[in-house]
Amino acid sequence: MTATTHPVSPEDVMAWLDGELSQAEARAVSEHLDQCSECTKLAEQFRSTSQSLSVWSVPEVPSSLYESVSKLAATTASAAKRTKPARYMSASSWSWNLRTIGGAGAVTALLALSAVTSAIWFQSGKPITDQQSKVFKDKNKPLEGESRALDSLVTLTRPGVAADSNGLFHGLGDHVQNSFSIDGQALSAPAPMIARTASLIIVVKDFAASRASLDTILARHHGYSAQLAVSTPENAPRSFQASIRVPAPELSSAVGELKTLGRVENESQSADEVTQQHTDLTARLKTSRETEARFEAILQQRTGNVAEVLQVEEGIARVRGDIERMETEQTALEHRVDFVTVEIQLSEEFKAQLNAPSASVSNRIHNAFVAGIRNASATLLGIVLFFEEYGPMLLIWLAILSLPVLHVWRRYRKARGQF
Amino acid sequence: MQDAFHAFVLHSEATKPPIMLDAKENPDADESAPPLTDEQLMVAFARGSSDAFTSLFQRYKRPLFGFIRRHVPDPAQAEELTQETFLAVLRAGSRYQACALFRTWLYAIGFKILRTHLRKAAFRAMFWGSQPESSEPSAASTIDTEILVRQAVGKLDSVDREILMLREFEQLSYAEIAELCGLPLNTVRSRLFRARMALHDLLAAPAPQPQAKELAEFEERI
Repeated sequence: MTATTHPVSPEDVMAWLDGELSQAEARAVSEHLDQCSECTKLAEQFRSTSQSLSVWSVPEVPSSLYESVSKLAATTASAAKRTKPARYMSASSWSWNLRTIGGAGAVTALLALSAVTSAIWFQSGKPITDQQSKVFKDKNKPLEGESRALDSLVTLTRPGVAADSNGLFHGLGDHVQNSFSIDGQALSAPAPMIARTASLIIVVKDFAASRASLDTILARHHGYSAQLAVSTPENAPRSFQASIRVPAPELSSAVGELKTLGRVENESQSADEVTQQHTDLTARLKTSRETEARFEAILQQRTGNVAEVLQVEEGIARVRGDIERMETEQTALEHRVDFVTVEIQLSEEFKAQLNAPSASVSNRIHNAFVAGIRNASATLLGIVLFFEEYGPMLLIWLAILSLPVLHVWRRYRKARGQF
Repeated sequence: MQDAFHAFVLHSEATKPPIMLDAKENPDADESAPPLTDEQLMVAFARGSSDAFTSLFQRYKRPLFGFIRRHVPDPAQAEELTQETFLAVLRAGSRYQACALFRTWLYAIGFKILRTHLRKAAFRAMFWGSQPESSEPSAASTIDTEILVRQAVGKLDSVDREILMLREFEQLSYAEIAELCGLPLNTVRSRLFRARMALHDLLAAPAPQPQAKELAEFEERI
């Protein structure tokens, strides 16, 4: 059916059936239908299709709908408060369930988060060494109870710390007031061990003279330089960075003299108390030494087969290694206390000078072009290398993740299609 | 011939009274005075007349419920959505402006609520699977025909299907459908034509034997 053979289109026939045509158009279609059997058949087809849809029936409206909405209408029209009907609330049970599930999920997530946080917090605590675990094998039993059977208490070189021959020690904690020296008198509180550091930034006028003065000051105060770096860039101020060590008693006077080198731009000092650290180290060292002595006594006094002797010797070697490591730590710690680290930076007051003209414009353009080419090639090379390195892994993840995503998407489309 | 066809004309004005109006339930039906239009009733409701809203509700509860019920398989959900639509009308009554037909406005609200519900239902079905489609008891003789019709309609393009259902079941005019779907009038006309032709072909094609699973599900439902 074309416009040449039929003056009206099939859509016009449909619109005529739907009453969507004007009076003139409807009359033209009607007259054509009287003469055209093909269009009449088409109209009949539309009509039968519409009739076939009538079998799709829906049930009657529930009576509860009328009651609830009528109540709402009366409430709203009388300008009373607008409350949701009970039916409406009950019908929204899915949303309520969703909120309940969401709330329960949030609470569960919070509980899980707190549990994980607690576990991490406990694990991040101070690790207990084997020796300490032996000492603190029974937390409920006071340390003094363990030491009650001891014959004597040994006072260490550092005040305030006492350890017995079994490795039980009395440190600076809650038990210090119950600790006694060999003569039965209470141990005095230990002097705090403080590792100090200082930092100075000084701007000097005469750079060479300042360096010489710095060496003089160091020699006068029995200090030394642990690290030293000099920078002398072109057309820029020279600078000097050093990490010097001076004895703790000489700190004030040394810093005072260093300040006279020039204008102080920044000065800072900090202190780190390492008393507890040193006490722990000393106690562990003492315990290890006693363990070593017991091993040696066993080796000398007891007899056994070769395997047992080797086992004891391995124990001695292990303890000896621990002792040496702890002695090194102790020495370094005491050195930190005895010598203060001073980070000093000397900068020269820079006076810019009129230099020779720099490279020509053409050279600069050429250099910039070359640098641009290099940067672009480096970027491209980086992209290629990235995909070479991570491409296979990305493909694997893409393949893994695409399956569930595709599955979910199909279910979504299917669900939309059902409605 | 013309008179014969006029008997089957699907003009909305011709079919609207028996569908939209329920003489037994219409409280404003008066033998002496012509019934108020939808827009007049809505204006009266906006001024505080609860009877006006009751009249509107009586007029549109059945078509609106049917419109939603054909999209939502669960009767309780269809009832809830219908109630939600009238609730929206209640809340927006004071802001109503009689610049458009009340019917178009009402269906626009229902259409929006329905689409939101279907989108959420599809999202839920994505994770928990679709809920079993419940249906009301039907006469045994019409079961097969109804299934075929529903399956044929379901195979149509979603937009074509929506336009066809709004025209066939709700008797909306082309202009109302265009406003509701946000499409040009000619697009609605061509899509409706295409949908009807496709539906005719689907219904005229030899009916496929329903699968055993579908039959079992349907028998279980009834």
